[in-house]
Amino acid sequence: MSEEEQMSEALVRIFENVVLTEEKSLQAGYFKDLSIAEMHTLTAIGPYEARTMTNTAEDLGITTGTLTVAIDRLVKKGYVHRERDLHDKRIVRISLTHNGKLACRMNSKFHRVLAKHILAGYDEADRQHLLDLVNEVDEYVEQQLRRYDSSENVRATAREVAKDTGKEKK
Amino acid sequence: MGDSDGRRDSIKSDILSTVADILEISPKDVTSDLAIIDDLPFDSLKLYELVISVEEKYGIRLPDEVLDEIRTIDDLVDVVVGFSNKE
Repeated sequence: MSEEEQMSEALVRIFENVVLTEEKSLQAGYFKDLSIAEMHTLTAIGPYEARTMTNTAEDLGITTGTLTVAIDRLVKKGYVHRERDLHDKRIVRISLTHNGKLACRMNSKFHRVLAKHILAGYDEADRQHLLDLVNEVDEYVEQQLRRYDSSENVRATAREVAKDTGKEKK
Repeated sequence: MGDSDGRRDSIKSDILSTVADILEISPKDVTSDLAIIDDLPFDSLKLYELVISVEEKYGIRLPDEVLDEIRTIDDLVDVVVGFSNKE
């Protein structure tokens, strides 16, 4: 197998396995009623200040219409609080409820523990080298994403949100 | 000095009572010298319950990097006093 093939397969496998592990940990844990796409939506809102629908949709790479459907469900499940801005009624602000914050923090911990275990196998010099290489890969992929960046272009999370929304409608 | 001691005592008493509530144990069984993870039956979820309750009550942020440095309830009280003074 060529180096390119090895790299390509490893990248795709890592991405899929991280998402799959995250999904399984959700199903086995305290937040069984959340899909991975919903968890990513909670993460995009974040545990602190209220955010606007527009900014959150932009971060997720989805339309505000798609986000509205996802937020409707998260409000019903008790993870998100939604209210109109006191001064400008056209602006809708969303924030996490106590349970939403809990889910968000637990999910961050999942990612942190995963990273901690990956790094644990290396000495300090190798850890720094690994981080430098991963950062370079990350930067390159980000650059590629920016080339195609437009409202038509959605990230994986957005696709998941849309997929879930489709399921719900059926 | 007296005021800051009083504030620390009030935060300590509040955190001890929150810990007892979350763990559903008697407040008499919780003292501030106890190690949060080693001496008390906290799992990750209950620990974040405590952290989020404290964040909401005092309007502060306790990121994971800060939590890593906290061992006892007294450590948590010190961090909350420090952060809430900055707000």
